[in-house]
Amino acid sequence: MTESRNIVLDVQDLVKRYGAITAVDGVSFSVRAREIFGILGPNGAGKTTTLECIETLRPVDAGTILLNGLNVRTQSQEVKRIIGVQLQSSSFFDKLSLAELLVLFGEMYGRSVDPLALLDEVELRDKSRAQVVQLSGGQKQRFSIAAALVNDPVVIFLDEPTTGLDPQARRHLWGVIKRIRSEGKTIVITTHYMDEAEELCDRVAIMDAGKIIAMAPPQEMITTLLAGGFRKEKVERLASLEDVFLSLTGHTIRDE
Amino acid sequence: MRIKWMLTLASMKMFMRQREAILWTLLFPLLVVILFGFVRFNGVGSIGLGVVNEAGATGADLLARIKSVRTFEVTEGTRESEMGELAKGERDLVLLIPAEYAPATSAEMTAYGDLEAKPQVTQLGGLVLQRVLDESAFAGAPGLRRTALSTLPFKSRNLTYMDFLLPGILSMSIMQMGIFGVAFGFVSLKKRGILRRLWVTPIRPNDFIIAQVAMRLLVLLLQMTIMVGVGILFLNLHFIGNIALIYLMGILGAVVFLGFGFSLAGISKSEDQVAPLANIITLPMLALSGIFFSRSNLPGFVRSITSVLPLTYLADGLRSVAIDGATLAQVTPQILGLVLWGVVSCALAVRLFRWE
Repeated sequence: MTESRNIVLDVQDLVKRYGAITAVDGVSFSVRAREIFGILGPNGAGKTTTLECIETLRPVDAGTILLNGLNVRTQSQEVKRIIGVQLQSSSFFDKLSLAELLVLFGEMYGRSVDPLALLDEVELRDKSRAQVVQLSGGQKQRFSIAAALVNDPVVIFLDEPTTGLDPQARRHLWGVIKRIRSEGKTIVITTHYMDEAEELCDRVAIMDAGKIIAMAPPQEMITTLLAGGFRKEKVERLASLEDVFLSLTGHTIRDE
Repeated sequence: MRIKWMLTLASMKMFMRQREAILWTLLFPLLVVILFGFVRFNGVGSIGLGVVNEAGATGADLLARIKSVRTFEVTEGTRESEMGELAKGERDLVLLIPAEYAPATSAEMTAYGDLEAKPQVTQLGGLVLQRVLDESAFAGAPGLRRTALSTLPFKSRNLTYMDFLLPGILSMSIMQMGIFGVAFGFVSLKKRGILRRLWVTPIRPNDFIIAQVAMRLLVLLLQMTIMVGVGILFLNLHFIGNIALIYLMGILGAVVFLGFGFSLAGISKSEDQVAPLANIITLPMLALSGIFFSRSNLPGFVRSITSVLPLTYLADGLRSVAIDGATLAQVTPQILGLVLWGVVSCALAVRLFRWE
């Protein structure tokens, strides 16, 4: 493995049980520096649990997770310092402005941050005095990403960041994610939108029932499938309904 | 250390920006004091009469006659205790039956009352007492010597219901802030995933708890200062206590109720579960701990049970210090009671509190 030096996240045989249910059942994968790595799968496949184990939120039943060489099970405090996390369905304190929240989160890492620069990163500078409750869905997700950046993390975890967003807001968020990667960050993202994975991810792992059942770059997966003799039943059209929707309503985001 | 302070500051900011919180913790208690404080529950309906019977059996007949007068609400006691109560305004009039008293032979007897602060009650009480004395003197055989009652002026501090109520309401709001504030606040932070987001940062859960407690203690000190201040400046509160001792008791009380609040937050999954539990704990204490009305009206066995409730210790302690000027030594029982309850509630919180 010549590229092993570049591996920032290495998960081996991860197992997580809830009582009799095995939510994550022997999952292994590794993520390289500056990669956007996607974990795909239907609801309940174990994507979020896998992320939460890596993020130190859940005790692991078996397996090892190394993050930048740190063992997540024994060095969780050090791991927390170098990860940025956007959680699915989590919120922020009320009554603090976006700028105040970012400063407070920076303090949690012992850093004094420039809140406006972080808000610029996610195009929310004009909302710096607003509170989270006043934001639209897309703005909330962008703010969570800004909050995940306060400690200049090595790896950023995004758990279904575009779920529930309209097509314009999704595309806008994709732009933000790509830019953050271009600034040198490694990103692990879960989604159940295949177009999103195809658009963003360098490699994807497909999970089902707690196991990874395929892992490769998206194009490679498609090529393999076609090489196996697969043909779509419907004749491929050159545009989708989403293309129609976007050409009618434009690409401008509506949530501001 | 820095992060604890930053979190405390941030929590304080959040608290102060919540209009409802300000309303309930700072304005509502004051409003209750003002509204209830100006209602006169003790009008001329009955006269609080303290009787000091130093004549023993000789005075018994007179005492029985006095007790049969329905205008009087009679309390017996020693000269020292009854005069003390008179000074506090707990009695309207105190009658001294001297040791040398003999019915139908004694020429004089003395009653004390605050003629200046309560002229009608004192004079009316004096007249009724004179009648009773006359009846007693002429009961055996007519024509015997009349005992003349002289009512001597006595300067009482004339404590009002306000003086009773304000320390009680202060105790009540300390309890409500500890139990309702913490339990509702934490359950909401848990449910909305705000705590989970904190745990992926390097802060330690205890930093957050300490900040929450510190914020509430700061709010408490502010609240106590405002209530006592407004009481003295605008509500004629007869405050003669040591303010440091008041703060100390307030903080002890807050620790007790914060412990219960964190325990409730631990066992409740949603706000719907918090409300009934919090009410079960707080409502009986509100009714029985002598917040609105003196516990002396409760039946004996209930009174002895309620005397060990944490809110009773807090209210009694604050009241003794504030309006009787009790010293640290004099409120030691209350302080010990609060410390014991604090140990119980904090131990419970440590056992029951859950982050998820």
